[in-house]
Amino acid sequence: MTRATRLGAAFGAAALLATAGATDAAAQGILDRLRQAANIARTLLPISTDKEIEIGRGIAATIAGRYPVSTDAALARYVNLVGLTVASADPRGDISYHFAVLETPAVNAFATPGGYIFVTRGALGIMQSEAELAGVLAHEVGHVNRKHVINQIRKSDTMREVRDQLDIQGAVLDRAVGAGTNAIFMGYSRDDELEADSLGLEYASAAGYDPGGLAAFVARLNQHAGEGPVAEFFATHPKPDDRVERLHAIAQREHLEAGATLEARFRQVVGGTR
Amino acid sequence: MRIGQVTARLAALALLLAAGAAAAEAQKTQWTDVVYVPGRWAGGKLVTKASANPQTDSLALVMRLDYFSAPPKWRAEIRRTSDGQTMGGPDILVGEGTKAVVLTALGATPLEQHVLGQDPLVRAAVVFDRNGRAPGPTSGRLVDRAPDGSVSRVVFRRSMRNATFADALLDPGARSGGRTLLASGIAAVGDQRQASVVATAGARGVDRVKTPGGDVPVTPDSAAIRRMEAFAVGAVALEDFMRTGALGPYAVKSDSTGRHP
Repeated sequence: MTRATRLGAAFGAAALLATAGATDAAAQGILDRLRQAANIARTLLPISTDKEIEIGRGIAATIAGRYPVSTDAALARYVNLVGLTVASADPRGDISYHFAVLETPAVNAFATPGGYIFVTRGALGIMQSEAELAGVLAHEVGHVNRKHVINQIRKSDTMREVRDQLDIQGAVLDRAVGAGTNAIFMGYSRDDELEADSLGLEYASAAGYDPGGLAAFVARLNQHAGEGPVAEFFATHPKPDDRVERLHAIAQREHLEAGATLEARFRQVVGGTR
Repeated sequence: MRIGQVTARLAALALLLAAGAAAAEAQKTQWTDVVYVPGRWAGGKLVTKASANPQTDSLALVMRLDYFSAPPKWRAEIRRTSDGQTMGGPDILVGEGTKAVVLTALGATPLEQHVLGQDPLVRAAVVFDRNGRAPGPTSGRLVDRAPDGSVSRVVFRRSMRNATFADALLDPGARSGGRTLLASGIAAVGDQRQASVVATAGARGVDRVKTPGGDVPVTPDSAAIRRMEAFAVGAVALEDFMRTGALGPYAVKSDSTGRHP
């Protein structure tokens, strides 16, 4: 949405809000509604790429504080190679992606604004191919591409007092980091998750991977339902069955061709580290 | 006229404007080409090698192009690499149909009068028809071959689903156009950012983060993120990885063959 579209929509919303009870309404009521609309419009303030990276770095540090980042260089190299391969299919070129493994048996993956992407040791433990890893990382790249966390921050109270990019510093920046971290750990909206699924499928397939990788991983999660390590994943993501069905439907609709699964390469690097 | 009627008309007008802007957005497209040539990077130098088979021969990343199009107008931001990994600052070309100018801080220069116009990779990158449309697939791989059949470049193309860029991006803007666009940061749309952002966030003490299982105390680990940023896989390693896995520019999916004039 361009600035013109946003402004038009914001003024339209403001005028509609004012119209709602304006036939004989008191001027004060109209002013209150215009103020409300102005507050809504403020949450539409774009966040620059530099600020996005700065916020993302803060969130990434918090994630790394909750779960230690693996120091296994061979594993980090492999995850970065797979991640950079799928990220090469992401047309958003204003950020550099960084990938890392988190040392926790919990099954999950996280993406922060600015391109910091994590996958847990627990998630790697139930994957069986590079295509599955690529699918998961591509899903996270999708969250970054669509700025899902940034959009959550913009909707939060954090941005109420922000009038331009220079205001996003100090305590405001810390609150933005806090809001973004909570958004990641509490889970995205269903729409955001499904959009990331769709983009992830597209990126992984465009990079040459088999488009069934993400669906295979999500389907396998069902086998672990009820187990502790997947509890948080199940609490923060749409139902696996729905996701798998939808992923298959997208692959069919988009006529995505089969691609590389690379089980042997995955086993060679990840198998020995489980 | 009552306040309600006035505001209702304002609302209708604003929504019409918004709808008009949305319709204009629908005409826009935006895509990225990552360009490889046969060869490989060695010690910071590009060593080209003739190839007839881009599936198996090594390819070296040479440039990234970000396109913004609202036919017949278009814009191309060209970033080159001198090591196969890091992209430099952009050369910006804007055009209308087949005509192209290079934007500089001093103004706009016709491509054919600019040094970029002598570069075959640049010329291949800005082939548009008179309606301002580019050849080739919207996404996928495009292999350009020379008349002798050898591969001249391999393009890995990705389109953005929603193109949302300012119309001003497509305006040469006479003398001040390039400077204004560069200064406004719009050029950063396709920029490969350097790690120059100061890390002020994440240097906090103990945070409490919300999780589905309740609030959890966390001490942010900024050092881990600095290590993560410093960890780099080289361009050659990435190309080898993609080639041995038949991925990226080596993938056979959605292959197209084209030949530019």
